[in-house]
Amino acid sequence: MADHPLSRRELLRSAALAGLLLPAAGALSACASPAGGGGGAASPAPTGPKTAANPLGIAEDRPFEVVIFDGGYGDAYARTIHEPLFTGKHGKVQIKHTATKEIAKTLQPRFAGGNPPEFINNSGDNAMDFGALAQDGQLQDLTELLDAPSWDDPNVKVRDTILPSAVELGTYDGKYCVLEYANTVWGIWYSKKLFDDNGWQVPKTWDEFTALCEKIKKSGECAPFTYAGKHPFYIYETILTLAAKIGGVDVLKNIDNLQPGAWKAGAVATAAGAFAEIGAKYLMEGTEGLDHIQTQTAHNKYQVAMLPCGSWLENEQKDSTPEDFGYAMFPLPSFSGSDALPYGTVHSRPGEEYFVAAKSANPRAGMEYMRAMLSKEGAGKFSELVSALTVVKGAAEGRTLTPGLESAAGALSQAGTNVTYFRFRQWYKELHDEVAAATGQLMAGRLKVDAWADRIQKKSDEIKDDSSVKKFTR
Amino acid sequence: MSGTARPAGPNRVAFARARFIAGFLALPVLLYLIYVISPYAQAFHIAMTNWRGVSASPAFVGLENFRRLLGDGVFWTAVGHNGLLLLLLPVLTIAIALFFAFLLNAGGSGGGVSGVAGSRFYRVIFFFPQVLAVAIVAVLFQQVLRPDRSGMLNGPLIALGLRPVGFLSDPRLAFWSILAVLVWQAVGFYVVLFSAGMASIPREMYEAAQIDGAGRAQMFFRVTLPLLWDTVQVGWIYLGIAALDVFAIVWVMTAEHGGPDHSTTVMAAEIYRNAFQYFKFGYASAMGVVLFFFTVAFAVAALRLSRRERIEF
Amino acid sequence: MGGAMVTETANTGGTGRSGRTRLSRSAARQRRRARLGPLSGLSHVALAVWTVLVVVPILWTFLASVKTEDEIFGSAWSMPAALRWDNWGRAWEQAHIGRYMLNSVIVVAFGTFGTMLLGSMAAYVLARYRFRGNRAIYLLFVSGLAFPVYLALTPLFFVVQNMGSVPLVGPLIGLDTRGGLVLVYIAYSLPFTVFFLSAFFRTLPGAVAEAAFVDGASHSRVFFQIMLPMARPGIVSITIFNILGQWNQYQIPLVLLSGQSKDKWVLTQGIADISTAAGYDADWAALFAALSMAILPMLVVYTVFQRQIQAGLTAGALK
Repeated sequence: MADHPLSRRELLRSAALAGLLLPAAGALSACASPAGGGGGAASPAPTGPKTAANPLGIAEDRPFEVVIFDGGYGDAYARTIHEPLFTGKHGKVQIKHTATKEIAKTLQPRFAGGNPPEFINNSGDNAMDFGALAQDGQLQDLTELLDAPSWDDPNVKVRDTILPSAVELGTYDGKYCVLEYANTVWGIWYSKKLFDDNGWQVPKTWDEFTALCEKIKKSGECAPFTYAGKHPFYIYETILTLAAKIGGVDVLKNIDNLQPGAWKAGAVATAAGAFAEIGAKYLMEGTEGLDHIQTQTAHNKYQVAMLPCGSWLENEQKDSTPEDFGYAMFPLPSFSGSDALPYGTVHSRPGEEYFVAAKSANPRAGMEYMRAMLSKEGAGKFSELVSALTVVKGAAEGRTLTPGLESAAGALSQAGTNVTYFRFRQWYKELHDEVAAATGQLMAGRLKVDAWADRIQKKSDEIKDDSSVKKFTR
Repeated sequence: MSGTARPAGPNRVAFARARFIAGFLALPVLLYLIYVISPYAQAFHIAMTNWRGVSASPAFVGLENFRRLLGDGVFWTAVGHNGLLLLLLPVLTIAIALFFAFLLNAGGSGGGVSGVAGSRFYRVIFFFPQVLAVAIVAVLFQQVLRPDRSGMLNGPLIALGLRPVGFLSDPRLAFWSILAVLVWQAVGFYVVLFSAGMASIPREMYEAAQIDGAGRAQMFFRVTLPLLWDTVQVGWIYLGIAALDVFAIVWVMTAEHGGPDHSTTVMAAEIYRNAFQYFKFGYASAMGVVLFFFTVAFAVAALRLSRRERIEF
Repeated sequence: MGGAMVTETANTGGTGRSGRTRLSRSAARQRRRARLGPLSGLSHVALAVWTVLVVVPILWTFLASVKTEDEIFGSAWSMPAALRWDNWGRAWEQAHIGRYMLNSVIVVAFGTFGTMLLGSMAAYVLARYRFRGNRAIYLLFVSGLAFPVYLALTPLFFVVQNMGSVPLVGPLIGLDTRGGLVLVYIAYSLPFTVFFLSAFFRTLPGAVAEAAFVDGASHSRVFFQIMLPMARPGIVSITIFNILGQWNQYQIPLVLLSGQSKDKWVLTQGIADISTAAGYDADWAALFAALSMAILPMLVVYTVFQRQIQAGLTAGALK
């Protein structure tokens, strides 16, 4: 390191030289690129004889791997409910259990290398892009599973034991290939105790809602409203649900289908403006810098009255919720008398995605594992353990549910068919990121509604024009 | 040089020498070709495909990715941030480090040529951040800068009745917080480096300046800085390279990994996001290629400048 | 760029000149006593401010590591009601900080040793032997300093994966192995190491080596027994940089050691994982404990060896 000016200069010169050399080298090695990792599932997937006990014909002696996203639901439900249920029927099949918080980081390399695990819980912030997976034929077609006899009753097909929306949402390119297992209901969450103690009423109209916020603010009891500021998904979810309620389900369909001008629709602007006003007036101090856990913990401490969330909330907060907190949720208030959808409309959709890797060593075992999950026992115990509803019809009946889940289940059954959802978050992660970034600014008052819509529309148009991104429609 | 002086047959000597050279170089060169050169070479190829990471046979799309890149606002925001870092990180770090190094070496009571008491202590402390992993520093400052009263900085502000500062949540501030953390971590190393350089400046030069009646400031600008100029340049190049390479701080510390609203994102973060979150490996590699050429351009610029400004003495 | 290793640490640089007189300590002390200027006080104020800036966040982390969750989310500067060392227990056992640390030590030990061995061999030959291709190989190594590592990550994954199918040694150097990580660390540390060590070897006097050759010593003997010991100051300082660089590495293990081999994860991965995990499990107390655990040994090791570390650093510079 003696300072020879020459040697330092050499460093720089060679760096410059490398700029000339490397592209040439790149051209030479062109054919050695990604394919090198290849391999893939060259050999056919193992099968076994199809019997009543083994309708999918899995190989009874072949192991498989279950990868669980260790997030809000943890991974105990897989270890203590589903895996034992599976091995109860197929004692010789070894299950390798893996839990991770970083699904994509963990698994993407294995997919690229042709060595994916069989069964994957592809959820969380770091989930793999379903669009990319579908595009590359990595998703096992689960139609056979739908038509197989259910775990509990050989005379009923699996298809008939689950919510139709689960099949619709799990369908990519006309193929059912993603199991959306947990059924989530979104709404505004509050503490029954806090509301009762202060005599606050659940608002049914937007005016009542803003009046309540004003009242809470004036009372000095706590802040009226917050959301996970670091993850603006939590608030754009409510904006879109309100937009659908005002303008009808087509509002969200157009958005999902990347329609020109979908984000500039009047209903979207109205909903965004409504929440921007909440953001300007009633947010808890510091909201924009806090994440979901921090805001939810503040909620548990009665520092804030309401926050938007999905029905996993109660389970996520179980360690920090006071005994008598009394979690409950209410659906978004009606914006005006001319809303396209009635009061009680909720955003609900099956979520928590699971799929079987088509190019894994033993995909049939993964499908059979799903069949076990979709049993009454598998689903019912899941609901009890992690406080979440499932797509299995009636599985939660007779199970003891926590107050929050009870409230969510009630809201869902009241909504009936007035259920909305959007799918671009799963289809186009880039769009989701842009909507989240822009909405955070909208709520902080740094972006006007028009500019907000312009920005997102621009991204939507870009994705529409990007030939490398696979498009979906609903 | 080398040992050609051995008194043996010239052929045998040449052979032994060649064998030795090959033997010593084989393993390092092999490792380097396999793990460093070949991945980089492949990356240039991937940049011209639409590979999404899971397919075994990506389609060749020529310069399509680069064309898209031109219209990618977020990427250019990231480029802008790297540019700003390229300018500010070296300037701030070097200015602060020079100041402290000068104090440590010549800020003492001994009339400008001795260091302050306890200079060794300061040097030990200042170097602390350098031994911490960047990922760890990022997690640490995420907590320090929290926006509520549990944040190390905001806690006292709120206690004083002031509004909390959104160090990382206000897009107008977040970038400066990142810069501050980067400077926080880098300064210690350069203090030690410059101190070493200053310690090697002959005493007589200071004493001569002193006799000429130079004050401390004059002494710094007339003696220390010119004699340290080479070291400062080296530091500037390293910090410049580090500025183009910022990743872990941004990725671990900020909301939305480069947010809020892309206000802190850098090229490396966009490359990682596009590769490992959007699975646009082709597109991400194209970004990598651009980053590569920026780096080369920086290197060439630094080369030219340092050649021109070299001060001989 | 600069090979992943280099940039994550802050890199060194050479300082100027050679040949200098150092003022003796006692002489300095005398001078200090001679005149006590007001500037000394101001110097101390400025230095103290930075000391506070450096030390306080670290101390604050240690403080939070013995608080309860409630105390952490409460007032930032409140003292804990009781020292909750169980946070440390949880971080150590449930978050496996001990294992991650051991992995880091193993990987860095082998990585640095390999880097120094191969790097010094290559640097020596390139610095002191003339042969055709010397220049090209040297430039090849040094050009690695300018590559942004992010460009290489994906292909690197496949390279390592393919190495896993090499007969015999494959299982030791493929994906999800410490061996694979070590080799990658070595390869990516080479540009920096070769660049500086070859500059260093070039400055060493050749007389001793010449004499040894005359005595009939072999080339490799001259290297290991004469040149390497002579280059000790340079070796020490580059070793320190490599240790720091490899210890700090986050990106490469993230790609090469997937979640299914958590038992092989290194410390930075572990900490980042806990910081993500805190989002879901809300065990912030354990996060702070884990952070403290990651920080403490580095500070202790550094403080104990700071003389050598800083001397190593400057030795190279002052050579």
